[in-house]
Amino acid sequence: MAINVKTFGDGFLRILPLILLIYVCISEFHTQFYYWSIFSFNLQFIIIYYWILRDPSILGYGFVFLCGVINDVVLSLPMGTSALSYLFVSLSAAYVRNATVRSTLITDWFTFLLAVIIGNFITYFLLKNFTEFKIEYTSMFFNSLFTFILYPVFWGIFELYKRSINLKTYD
Amino acid sequence: MSTSRDDFGIAIRSALLQRGAKQKFSLFVLIILSLSIFVLDSSNLKAVKVLRSLVNDGIYRISVISSSPIKFTSSTKNFFVNHILLYKENEELKLELSELKKSKLRTSYLEAENKKLQEIVELDKNSAFITVGAKIMLDKNSPYLNSAIINKGSNSGVKLGMPVLSKGHLVGRIVEVNYLSSRILLLNDLNSRIPVVISPSGDQAILSGAGKKSPTLEYLPENFSLNSESTVYTSGKDGVLFSGISIGKVFQGDDRPEVQLFADPNQIYLINVVIEKSSDLEAM
Repeated sequence: MAINVKTFGDGFLRILPLILLIYVCISEFHTQFYYWSIFSFNLQFIIIYYWILRDPSILGYGFVFLCGVINDVVLSLPMGTSALSYLFVSLSAAYVRNATVRSTLITDWFTFLLAVIIGNFITYFLLKNFTEFKIEYTSMFFNSLFTFILYPVFWGIFELYKRSINLKTYD
Repeated sequence: MSTSRDDFGIAIRSALLQRGAKQKFSLFVLIILSLSIFVLDSSNLKAVKVLRSLVNDGIYRISVISSSPIKFTSSTKNFFVNHILLYKENEELKLELSELKKSKLRTSYLEAENKKLQEIVELDKNSAFITVGAKIMLDKNSPYLNSAIINKGSNSGVKLGMPVLSKGHLVGRIVEVNYLSSRILLLNDLNSRIPVVISPSGDQAILSGAGKKSPTLEYLPENFSLNSESTVYTSGKDGVLFSGISIGKVFQGDDRPEVQLFADPNQIYLINVVIEKSSDLEAM
């Protein structure tokens, strides 16, 4: 019985980042804080990039796709827009994971900038060319900037989380 | 040079096609799937629209439920902050106080809601329009769309393009209709364009969302002069919105005239969707 509880606990801790990602996509969690109008960040990008890069067994690509579809529905974007954007962020992370032997915060942070640019470019390209959406460029710029700036903070939190629960890497 | 290109190719191919120990799908397959969904959704096929409408209704309901902890936290935050010291004094008093305050909070919430509902009922009686009352379910802003989801859809007679009022003033229009829910595009969204008339001068203009709190006025006549009494109403020139719905007061913005909305789009909770003009008004 004790073993079962422990197994359940371990399993729950392993899927917590996934639950967080789904929750951020589906809930009214405001990554746009309107009491300071320019401050907003894309927590989804940070979660996806970090976990695909550091431990892809935690976050399946299928779930990343699903979260993208949910996000599109909640934000009323054409279905597949966020999914593609998230998958390209995952692709960047998977590439960095394959191409580098030993990653540090600095290398992660630098490559995350490229991932954010690619992810937002995909969204921009699809919305600009295939829909009649008007995009607020300043808002998008500040969103990308703060997402990039806040990455080390979440990197630290996720590293602590990973170490504290002593995650076993499967990949 | 060619070696580094080969390395890049190998790493990209591996990232795209390799599934890893715990992955059920490769990135390549999912990217193709996303593209297919995007193409289907953009194709405006009726079957896809119906499917999307069902998915929307389902996800909005789940989203409302999953947002409830955030709403609960924000509404009780002040309560906890103000009474944290009392909690420390006595365990029994803490429980009693907690229950009392919670019930007080519930009562005041119900009172406020009741007052707002009464306002809506009054509005229904006095308004020149036949409206259907609705509640904001979700208010999720993004860099792309400033919109809100309401709990009334095609089952209540809501249709695309219908104007949405808050306390009798225009706040937006319906841009997406599902069976049980709809989406309002707010006046301050970048994609919002409404033909308006300015009273008392009678000048015509386009009220254009600027992504900030106050929308701007475009296509004003060259000899337009700003008056402190200038009020903006819908002109109904697009043939979609009804004419004569009040919107706000004109003031001089940074580079062009802006409109101070009578109903703040960020503060709306209960709204009215205008179904049609009342017959009394049409007779006039």
